[in-house]
Amino acid sequence: MWVTADCGGQVNRSCGKPEHVAWCAMNLIKKIHRIHPFFLLFLILVFPGNAWAVQSHGAPEGLYVHQLAHVFYTAALCYFFWNIHRSKFKSPGWRLLQVFCVLMVCWNIMAFTDHTLAAVINSAHITGGGDYLATRLRGPATAVNIWYYITKLDHIFSVPALFFLYLGMKGIYKSSVKEEEV
Amino acid sequence: MIDLPMLPAILIDMAGSFVIIVLSFLSLRYAFLLTRRQPENFLWGFLFYFCLTLACFSVSRAVGHLLKQILLISGRSEQWHILAPYSGGFNTLLMISLAAVILYYHKGIEGYRAIQKKARSLTHANAQLEVAAEKLQRLNQNLEEMVEERTMELSASEKKFRNFFTNSKDMVYFCDSANTLVNMNAAGLEMLGYSLEDDPKLQLNAIFHNEDDLDQYFETIISVGFVEDLEVEFVRSDGTVLYVLLSATGIFDDDRQFLGCEGIAKDLTRLRTMMEQLASSEKMASVGQMAAGVAHEINTPLGVILGYSQLMMDDFSPESEEGQNLEVIERQAKACRKIVADLLKFSRQSESKRENISINEILDDVLAVTEHSLNMDHIYVHRDFSNDLPTVVGDTEKIRQVFVNFINNAHHAMEEEDGGDLFLSSRYDHSANQVTATVRDTGHGIAEDVLAKIFDPFFTTKSVGKGTGLGLSVSYGIIQEHDGIITVESPVKIDGKDVSGTAFHVKFPAASEESESAIQ
Repeated sequence: MWVTADCGGQVNRSCGKPEHVAWCAMNLIKKIHRIHPFFLLFLILVFPGNAWAVQSHGAPEGLYVHQLAHVFYTAALCYFFWNIHRSKFKSPGWRLLQVFCVLMVCWNIMAFTDHTLAAVINSAHITGGGDYLATRLRGPATAVNIWYYITKLDHIFSVPALFFLYLGMKGIYKSSVKEEEV
Repeated sequence: MIDLPMLPAILIDMAGSFVIIVLSFLSLRYAFLLTRRQPENFLWGFLFYFCLTLACFSVSRAVGHLLKQILLISGRSEQWHILAPYSGGFNTLLMISLAAVILYYHKGIEGYRAIQKKARSLTHANAQLEVAAEKLQRLNQNLEEMVEERTMELSASEKKFRNFFTNSKDMVYFCDSANTLVNMNAAGLEMLGYSLEDDPKLQLNAIFHNEDDLDQYFETIISVGFVEDLEVEFVRSDGTVLYVLLSATGIFDDDRQFLGCEGIAKDLTRLRTMMEQLASSEKMASVGQMAAGVAHEINTPLGVILGYSQLMMDDFSPESEEGQNLEVIERQAKACRKIVADLLKFSRQSESKRENISINEILDDVLAVTEHSLNMDHIYVHRDFSNDLPTVVGDTEKIRQVFVNFINNAHHAMEEEDGGDLFLSSRYDHSANQVTATVRDTGHGIAEDVLAKIFDPFFTTKSVGKGTGLGLSVSYGIIQEHDGIITVESPVKIDGKDVSGTAFHVKFPAASEESESAIQ
């Protein structure tokens, strides 16, 4: 179905046409932004509850936010990976950026797991006797203990990820220079 | 039971943190270089902000980790516990920012992709335009070459027709709808007695001598579209008439409206004069043949009549009636014999001598005899003889008779006018190698209707008994016999003006050196 939208009263564009998709999407976001405050106002007026001006937060909130940030970051990386895939960029640097995304997602999973395990692990199993460098993980060989030890080595993913990012950026830059010279 | 040292994790954490900072800034450097190279490229902008946020995150996290390790190693765990929430908070904030940059810019990338698509489409359109422009340029170039070629052809054609127009010996003219001659070549103007410098503004109706001819000319052009071989008379600037053969074509617009005409006229005056002379010559030749026949037939019985009448006169006394009658018969028979002799002279049947003659001497001889009687009748003679006159070959007596005839005719013409002037002139035309003698009087002249008949035998305007009408006929025969040309002009044109009187022009071929020496 062809939909026509007003665009400043100058040109009638058809959102059915592929070249106008981006424009229509932007237009839709603008409209939502316009409607959003009114929608919230509507909800407050229709469903008035106890209106607490200030809400106190518990201790785990920081951890939750951080964990959610990891999830958010992971989702963004996945989207970035997919976006590169569908864009079909010519430069091989973009492939390396995809590798960066994969490794970074792995790092996120590892970090997320580490933060979770750090909250549940028995602190008695980590002993150092006052010497931090001599700290050891002692305890039963449970999955929590083993995974906790492994996830502490998260740089196994993050360092290669950043290395691939560096290679990717370098590749993209070289391709750009070459393209311009051609 | 497990017993694993945490030292490897601590060391990896510290080394990795340091390496991450280095790598993130190296990546940021390339992103920065990309934006520097192409500041307008949205994608590079995105990569720059992405790398910048990542570098901030890396610094935040790596510094936090390094600080943690250093503080814990140095036994200041309390300080780390104070800083830890801030480090975690920053890390969280920057991680969210990093994700937000990725998600926010994806829209930008979409826009950029659309722009790129548009740009590709524009590039394609531009390429097509370039192809079209190239094609157009080629066409334009071809067109220019074609125009140049056609211009040259047109110029050559124009030159060809211009040359034809300019160099034509016939009149070529163009006239507009108002009958004004807008263009006429030099030959045409010369034919009409004008020069190019005069640049005369002529009208067709001014150069046509007869209005009927002009009417016929336009009627034919309007109805048929052209006229072909129309014989008309044009008037020259001096008033003389030209006989021309005219062909012309009308110019019309799409609505058959007359715009003008273009024509070519050939001067036939000379040809017509020649034709008239030829016709006259033929007529005179046939008349001469007839006269010769008649003369021969009459001559014999006339001789017998004269012989017998003279014999009979011996038998009768001159005082007797018979004697007087016989004298009349003898006198009239002699008169007839003279007429017969003249006829024979006219028909060139009489014998002629061939000798070198000076025309000036002959004219002097004739005037010596006739001048006295001319003066008696108040006719005054004017001589204009050329000194470098060559001789001509012919019979002195016969040529003298020709001039006597002319002078006698002039005498008779001026006698009626109670005197006048007689002009005798001679000159030599080097180009034609001809000797011309002219006898001109100031008498009443010859009427136009009889001008063509004056050389006919027995044609006379004198009263009966005063002339036989053979004088000019005999003169014509004699001049023809001498390979000469005799022409008459009446009225006489002098300095462009018509003067009353008659002029006879006699042209003799000058004697060649061979014939001159042979006669001597």
